[in-house]
Amino acid sequence: AVIGRAGAMAAAMVAAVAGGGGDFSDLREIKKQLLSVAERSRERGLQHSGKWAAELAFALEPLPLSELPPPPVLTEEDARDLDAYTLAKSYFDLKEYDRAAYFLRGCKSQKAYFLYMYSRYLSGEKKKDDETVDSLGPLEKGQVKNEALRELRVELSKKHKAQELDGFGLYLYGVVLRKLDLVKEAIDVFVEAAHVLPLHWGAWLELCNLITDKEMLKFLSLPDTWMKEFFLAHIYTELQLIEEALQKYQSLIDAGFSKSTYIISQIAVAYHNIRDIDKALSIFNELRKQDPFRIENMDTFSNLLYVRSMKPELSYLAHNLCEIDKYRVETCCVIGNYYSLRSQHEKAALYFQRALKLNPRYLGAWTLMGHEYMEMKNTSAAIQAYRHAIEVNKRDYRAWYGLGQTYEILKMPFYCLYYYRRAHQLRPNDSRMLVALGECYEKLNQLVESKKCYWRAYAVGDVEKMALVKLAKLHEQLNESEQAAQCYIKYIQDIYSCGEVVEHLEVSTAFRYLAQYYFKCKLWDEASACAQKCCAFNDTREEGKALLRQILQLRNQGETSSTDVAAPFFLPASLSANNTPTRRVSPLNLSSVTP
Amino acid sequence: MASVHESLYFNPMLTNGVVHANVFGVRDWVTPHKMALLVLLSELGRAGAQLGLLERRRLNRLLLPLLQGPDMALSRLRKAIEECCPHLAGSVHIRLKLMAEGELKDMEQFFDDLSDSFSGTEPEVHKTSVVGLFLRHMILAYNKLSFSQVYKLYTALQQYFQKDEKKNGADENEMELTNPEELDGKMEKEELDGPLREEDIACSGPLSQKQAEYFLSQQASLLKNDETKALAPASLQKELNNLLKFNPDFAEAHYLSYLNSLRVQDVFSSTHSLLHYFDRLILTGAESKSNGDEGYGRSLRYAALNLAALHCRFGHYQQAELALQEAIRIAQESNDHVCLQHCLSWLYILEQKIFDSCVLLEHSVNKSLHFGLPYLASLGIQSLVQQRAFAGKAANKLMDALKDSDLLHWKHSLSELIDISIAQKTAIWRLYGRSTMALQQAQTLLSMNSLEAVNVGVQQNNTESFAVVLCHLAELHAEQGYFAAASEILKHLKERFPPNSQHAQLWMLFDQKIQFERAMNDGRYHVADSLVAGITALNSIEGVYRKAIVLKAQNQMSEAHKLLQKLLIHCQKIKNTEMVISVLLSMAELYWRSSCHTIALPVLLQALALAREYSLQYLASETLLNLAFSQLILGIPEQALNILHMAIEPVLAHGAVLDKGCAMFLVAKCQVASAASYTPQKKIEALESAILNLNEAKTYFAKVDCKEQLRDVLYFQARLFHTLGKTQERNKCAMLFRQLHQELPAHGVPLINAFK
Repeated sequence: AVIGRAGAMAAAMVAAVAGGGGDFSDLREIKKQLLSVAERSRERGLQHSGKWAAELAFALEPLPLSELPPPPVLTEEDARDLDAYTLAKSYFDLKEYDRAAYFLRGCKSQKAYFLYMYSRYLSGEKKKDDETVDSLGPLEKGQVKNEALRELRVELSKKHKAQELDGFGLYLYGVVLRKLDLVKEAIDVFVEAAHVLPLHWGAWLELCNLITDKEMLKFLSLPDTWMKEFFLAHIYTELQLIEEALQKYQSLIDAGFSKSTYIISQIAVAYHNIRDIDKALSIFNELRKQDPFRIENMDTFSNLLYVRSMKPELSYLAHNLCEIDKYRVETCCVIGNYYSLRSQHEKAALYFQRALKLNPRYLGAWTLMGHEYMEMKNTSAAIQAYRHAIEVNKRDYRAWYGLGQTYEILKMPFYCLYYYRRAHQLRPNDSRMLVALGECYEKLNQLVESKKCYWRAYAVGDVEKMALVKLAKLHEQLNESEQAAQCYIKYIQDIYSCGEVVEHLEVSTAFRYLAQYYFKCKLWDEASACAQKCCAFNDTREEGKALLRQILQLRNQGETSSTDVAAPFFLPASLSANNTPTRRVSPLNLSSVTP
Repeated sequence: MASVHESLYFNPMLTNGVVHANVFGVRDWVTPHKMALLVLLSELGRAGAQLGLLERRRLNRLLLPLLQGPDMALSRLRKAIEECCPHLAGSVHIRLKLMAEGELKDMEQFFDDLSDSFSGTEPEVHKTSVVGLFLRHMILAYNKLSFSQVYKLYTALQQYFQKDEKKNGADENEMELTNPEELDGKMEKEELDGPLREEDIACSGPLSQKQAEYFLSQQASLLKNDETKALAPASLQKELNNLLKFNPDFAEAHYLSYLNSLRVQDVFSSTHSLLHYFDRLILTGAESKSNGDEGYGRSLRYAALNLAALHCRFGHYQQAELALQEAIRIAQESNDHVCLQHCLSWLYILEQKIFDSCVLLEHSVNKSLHFGLPYLASLGIQSLVQQRAFAGKAANKLMDALKDSDLLHWKHSLSELIDISIAQKTAIWRLYGRSTMALQQAQTLLSMNSLEAVNVGVQQNNTESFAVVLCHLAELHAEQGYFAAASEILKHLKERFPPNSQHAQLWMLFDQKIQFERAMNDGRYHVADSLVAGITALNSIEGVYRKAIVLKAQNQMSEAHKLLQKLLIHCQKIKNTEMVISVLLSMAELYWRSSCHTIALPVLLQALALAREYSLQYLASETLLNLAFSQLILGIPEQALNILHMAIEPVLAHGAVLDKGCAMFLVAKCQVASAASYTPQKKIEALESAILNLNEAKTYFAKVDCKEQLRDVLYFQARLFHTLGKTQERNKCAMLFRQLHQELPAHGVPLINAFK
């Protein structure tokens, strides 16, 4: 392990020397590479990798005839297997995998061998999916396995040991290992595949799915090619390191991939993840202009439209997608969102269910379905849906959060703490979980913990801007008037500084409290300023007026006691300086026991 | 003292309503094993009258467990049938062979023929009989299968048969060698009821539904009753993960995984599993009953309650309280009295950590009886008795209460609670200082057979009660000087409760205490001192007390005094009267060692008052001995003798050997001292009786190997013989004394001033 680590470090050093990342100076060369790998992927039936490479190649300038990559050179072996390959490939394209494999047996050339193994793998997968429907009992349902995997592993590992596998072969070996839950071995093989054939996006993508945290990423020795940049950008998005991901994508755009729809969509998803809704929306709109028949990522787009309650746009999107292809997971999801926005929750749930039927591993739909059930007040079904989501992906913070909310609705504040904590651990700088935690602690009368939560929620950048008010109210409850006033001041600053015109409900409360606070402290000027503000709101107008009158009276009585006022009180310099939210923080240690 | 530990309240399989062993809707599926059973049934019908009465009866007895039990390998099934009727086993095998080696249509034909057994004017099988129901279930299940499923079933049958053939081929040679006698009736029992062995599970691959259920319930009951027999935590978790991978909806596996995590004190995974279990349970509850009140609302309450239990187990009392409050609130809102009772018991457990809460407990007992929850009620009674015993309530009432709860146990055959009750009685008798009664109770429990039928063949479970009773037994034996017996018992304990199991701490503490006592008797204070750390780790109060004793023995009086003073205050605060009296006695001893008898007296009187009030008889008589000694030193031996007459009886009846020796020695001293004022004739009589008493003391001391005391007795005896002019005896004693004196270092305390 020590040697391996040292090797990785050495590789990292080399990368640093080579100029810290990929070299994008020769875009023509890159385009050539992309075109050739797209072709080679297609030959092997790897549709998605082919598509990715082709998409990316499309974003670059077209090549003149003289520079087009030559057709791949055929070897003696290839020529011998050509007939079998051609026949098998056509069977393969028609999804007759067993038939394809039958005619390919005994082929020695790399291409034919890969197709042979790949057909066997796909045949196993297809049978597995079919079997699940007619199993012999509830327990057997989960036991249906891809029977081919074991044999494939044995054969491939033999070849692997003899170093007879090319990049595609290694990729397939990795996939087989991953399906057998041999994660560590799979990672090693995928890394090897990336070294042998860095242009094959599929291997990188598999690697993305297997790496769970930043530490793991650090110790991988990856080939230093321009493909690595794409990989890093992608995995940063996956690991919620949005800032880094956006930087990477920006540099890729600067390098010349500005037209790539893939990059645009990834950026949009990244903005969605950090809840920068406006930016994400505009990018998605742009994307739809460039690629109007695109279905991928449209579920994310619909989520954004949903959050902004943009009914007409969502409706248009749903109709549009439905016309393109109504039996796609994304389409179902968009329609589900559409119904949900129209408060037709039963129908929404139905569409999410349909999405899950189309792809049981489609995580988002489980969570969304949970939300729908919550809306329908069917808590047990909601819990079921959320639990399924967690089963698919333990790191799905929305499902944990949803479970917490469900139990909160069931009036079990202590019980839901666990779920909120889970969500918080996954998203340490998301204020919503912190506010939820704070509320639960408040219900449990654990005011110290509650204060901690609210304060942290404010510190990480409160989205809903409610943490400060809640904190202030807590202080009020505890008779800590000084702190309460501070919080209200900060709250008011916050509201005014972001220039939100929307009437915030709690602003009047804040001014009322401040007015009374200053009144008690005998700071007449501030008190009257606040009281005047109070008069601007309906619910506090009378109180404000009464207070103003009182102030006037008292002022007249004790003119001498009034002190000089230095600065406008609600913008003290010391406070406004330190409220920039921290970027990435560790989870809050709420109590000694945080299971 | 035996504690009614919180773990008892935490009892998923028994408490009403928390876990139903079988919540998943059982649907019948045709499996190869079931097909073998069907073949057996049809053969049975065909054989008809040819079977002898005995064979028929044996077969009928075999059928029920087969129909209800989990799937098993063909070889086991055949063996079971062979024991009943070899002829039938052969024909079943042939039928199966024909079917497995034939074609698909053979199987189809077989199922077609099956339904014939119902037809006719005099059907072979009655439709509603157990066998009839089974047959109909199977036929129905078979008819529901799609074509591909039928085909799958057929290949499964082939595999089932071939696996057996292969195994037979391999075993053939070995089978011949094994003694045929081994295969008699005992085998069957083992095969059918015996716990699934580890390799069995490991190699059998995926389990069927019934097998999985069986596995879970068995492991759960083993975890409860006899942890050592259950799978090791790691391998059990592996099995569970495997099970869950195949079927994530198998909620009970989550619960078992929770129990398993508790075993290894893993807060994180146990919380995770518990919550996961209840999330799953809520689903099944919601499906079965649309009405939220009975369905999942109920599991919600129990979810919160179990969470409280979990936190309590890990010592997070504040969290536990919050969870409990939640459970209580929800239970109140939905008027669930049963759940509220559970909550109340838990509330008591939690409050116990803070203050005595008899009121809560009494309430709980009343209500539990009212709602017909015998388990909870009697647990409440047990806790209450324990509380009261510590609080010094009248012994007869306590015994009465225990008798009442025993009635309840036997009525509802709560075997676990019977054990606890007896262990409790053992402990209470020991607390009162009646070692013979304690001994008798301990033996009662140990020679009793368990009522539970879970582990047939195993007569006793490895529960806490047994650990407690065995520990007491070991200590009682050690007190009487039977150290070999005591260490034998401890060895047994070590085997039954391996060091990492739940109740191992108990015997660890007792083991060290016994060793400590021995070291102190032998005067090996450094050894005793080294044991103190271990005792402190297991029980801090006991540890501090022992530390003080060692210091006292090493003549570090002021340190010992300081320590005892602190301990006294602490024990008075937590109302540990037993310890308070022991500490007072030790302090008194410190005073008279420093020749401050006048200060020692009030302390002793205080101890006596306390001991009498809490009817801790043994401690009371020990206090009396101390008191008598002080009086002796203060020059009123007659008075001392008077008191001694009062105390000597219980000491001789129930006391430890060492105490008996000390008491007799003291009596002799008093006799000698009071004889000073007698007439010469009477004086000689008194001295002679003192010598006799000394002889008795000597035998006691010899039993526990207390050389120092032995030396003192010899010295004293030699002096007495000298006074009486019996030179020969005197010389003998003097010689023995000389020998011991050379062996032992002399300590600073003058002879006459030492009582212990």
